[in-house]
Amino acid sequence: MNAVSSRRAEWTTRLAVAGRVVLAAGGGYGLAALSTALLSLVLPLSRAEAVTSATLLSFALMVGAAVYVFAARSLGRAAISMAVLAGILGGTLWLVMKMIQTGSPA
Amino acid sequence: MKNGFRQSMAWLHTWSGLVVGWVLFAVFVTGTASYYRSDISLWMRPELRQEAAFSPEDLARAAEFGVAHLQKHAGNARTWFITLPSADNPVLDLFWRTKPGTPPSQAALDPRTGEVSGLRETKGGDFLYRFHFELHMPPIWGRWIVGICAMIMLVALVSGIVIHRRIFADFFTFRRDKSAQRGWLDAHNVTGVLGLPFHLMITYTGVVTLALMYMPWGVTTAYKGDNQAFFAESGQITAPRPPAGRPGTLAPIGPMVREAIATVPEPLERLSILNPKDAAATVVAVFEEPHGLSHEHPQVAFDGVTGAVVEVRQGGLKPAAKTFTTMVGLHEAHFAGPALRVLFFLCGLMGCAMVATGLVLWSVSRMPKAGEPAFFGLRLVQALNVGTVVGLPAAVAVYLLANRLLPVGIADRSGWEIRAFFGAWIIMALAALLRPHRRAWTEGAIAVAALFVAAATADALTIGEARFLGFDTALLVLAALFAYAARKVSTYAPPQRERRSRQDSPALAAASRQPAQAFRTQKVLNEA
Amino acid sequence: MTPIVLLLTIGLSYVGLAALCLGMNRHHSAIFEARPDPRRALLLRSAGWIAIGLSFASAVHFEGWAFGPVQWIGGLTAAALLVVGILSYRPGLILPTAALVLPVALAAAISI
Repeated sequence: MNAVSSRRAEWTTRLAVAGRVVLAAGGGYGLAALSTALLSLVLPLSRAEAVTSATLLSFALMVGAAVYVFAARSLGRAAISMAVLAGILGGTLWLVMKMIQTGSPA
Repeated sequence: MKNGFRQSMAWLHTWSGLVVGWVLFAVFVTGTASYYRSDISLWMRPELRQEAAFSPEDLARAAEFGVAHLQKHAGNARTWFITLPSADNPVLDLFWRTKPGTPPSQAALDPRTGEVSGLRETKGGDFLYRFHFELHMPPIWGRWIVGICAMIMLVALVSGIVIHRRIFADFFTFRRDKSAQRGWLDAHNVTGVLGLPFHLMITYTGVVTLALMYMPWGVTTAYKGDNQAFFAESGQITAPRPPAGRPGTLAPIGPMVREAIATVPEPLERLSILNPKDAAATVVAVFEEPHGLSHEHPQVAFDGVTGAVVEVRQGGLKPAAKTFTTMVGLHEAHFAGPALRVLFFLCGLMGCAMVATGLVLWSVSRMPKAGEPAFFGLRLVQALNVGTVVGLPAAVAVYLLANRLLPVGIADRSGWEIRAFFGAWIIMALAALLRPHRRAWTEGAIAVAALFVAAATADALTIGEARFLGFDTALLVLAALFAYAARKVSTYAPPQRERRSRQDSPALAAASRQPAQAFRTQKVLNEA
Repeated sequence: MTPIVLLLTIGLSYVGLAALCLGMNRHHSAIFEARPDPRRALLLRSAGWIAIGLSFASAVHFEGWAFGPVQWIGGLTAAALLVVGILSYRPGLILPTAALVLPVALAAAISI
């Protein structure tokens, strides 16, 4: 391997690591935030209890997501799974909020 | 990171631990000290002496004094806080906030006369307590930084558990007679594993104490962002009463104090007076927590203008809210009596040691071979390690020392104590940069030991009262620990070979041929 | 009462952890110059778990389900720290101290 390509490989590795850091922090927080927002609305508890449970749970979820991002086989795979999960959570949240809006014309 | 789960976790553990290690060490040290926050505050205000218990009548009169002082000096403040005196802390502490974002003003009154007390001006243990989660920064910044570090610490804990393959086999193992690296790794493992329940608990509950700031999105969707409404509905505070916008006159506070004390059996701790000059003024009497793990203060709210009770909050939390307050309670450990408090303190020290040994381990395992120069990153980490691990304790010692040595009457005395704290820290950190690494450790630890001895001596010479004997002894014990560490570092010689007394044990020899897996993978990754 | 219950918790945990660590090859041979035979190891380990179980049961019995577990974890941590400290600085003292702590813990249990 010549010097140029090994340096390039080194930079690719560094970028991949940086990508994981960004994905773990931003994606982890995003997932936790979406799940908190959604669970606060849909958990079959009183409003205050639902918000409290969802918020308490969110930090464990974020840690789990961050660990997953670093454990995943590749950055791309981690990004896709996180995006799919975020999409499901975000879509459901959007639907639920739409239903609440049309259900109660307050 | 395509090397498998354990390797990627080893990488994650190493680097997540390193980037937040120095902040975490500061958070752990000041947090551990905060278990004795009120003892520190008492030590730092030696003019206060224990008094006979305060009757409800005394408390009502003290509250009247407080309100009179605030009417005169804090007329345009939005909120007044009055901490009522107790036998152990016989002073009337007043705080007021004029605008959000500006630091609160404060005053201390003699609860029997209402005169400004002759106490030395100090932030006492409250400075260390607030530093623990705000780092003496604007609250928003400090709390976010500490919160992010705490989340990364959770990640480091989880990945640390994953990579420690021999977590049970090495449970009791602390090999002092092998290589330096081995010893630091064992010390890191022992403090991490034995204290693991505490570390997990304290980190998670720490994030939870400020949960709504870090994760407000449930309140955003379910309460349209109204935090106060959420807290009131979950039963943690009395319902908020927005200001009416019309001027009003505060009713006498004495009768409200008497009525509050008659309503709740716990001792009355403080009063919050919101919008004191408004027609919708509110007085909230906050009581000490009843015996239990949960952090929930009984509260009685009054209409400030009529003096009538509006609401009584006492117990009755639902399961999730109770879980939340129990987590906060576990973090603060207000429930812990003297014996249990010692154990919490010990666990806190193990947390400090875990972070410190982890930081040192990073630099020890990257030590260049003889003759090779240390690379810049290593020099930086080494200097930051010394600057934090001995710099912060030195700063704490100087903070205490300044309390005894600064003249009592000078202006902004509490500010100077804090400047002494940071000044000492900066000097220690700079000294660490200038001295050779090993010497920096030895000299730093000796300096810390000397400073703790100086603080205890200064107390003996200027105050010299028997009731501070326990506190001064604790300072001397800390000094002895640092002196011992200094001796260890200065006399340390890397072992050339294993000691003969151990070599006749076959199991040990086998164990020594088998370095911990986690460590090996870490090495592999470093070299990759 | 709490300090005495804590003494009992720490005492039982100390005995239990000492037995558990003696039941491990490495530590047994560091003290007795030989590995434990399988029966001895099994005995030590079961005794260890029983003592730790007793320390938990007693903490919960005397302090209830709220404070009991919290104090138990605190006591267990302190005891583990003691075992590791003694094991690495004065390994010979593990057995005598455990033998000494057991009656103290029992006396504490009786005095509650």
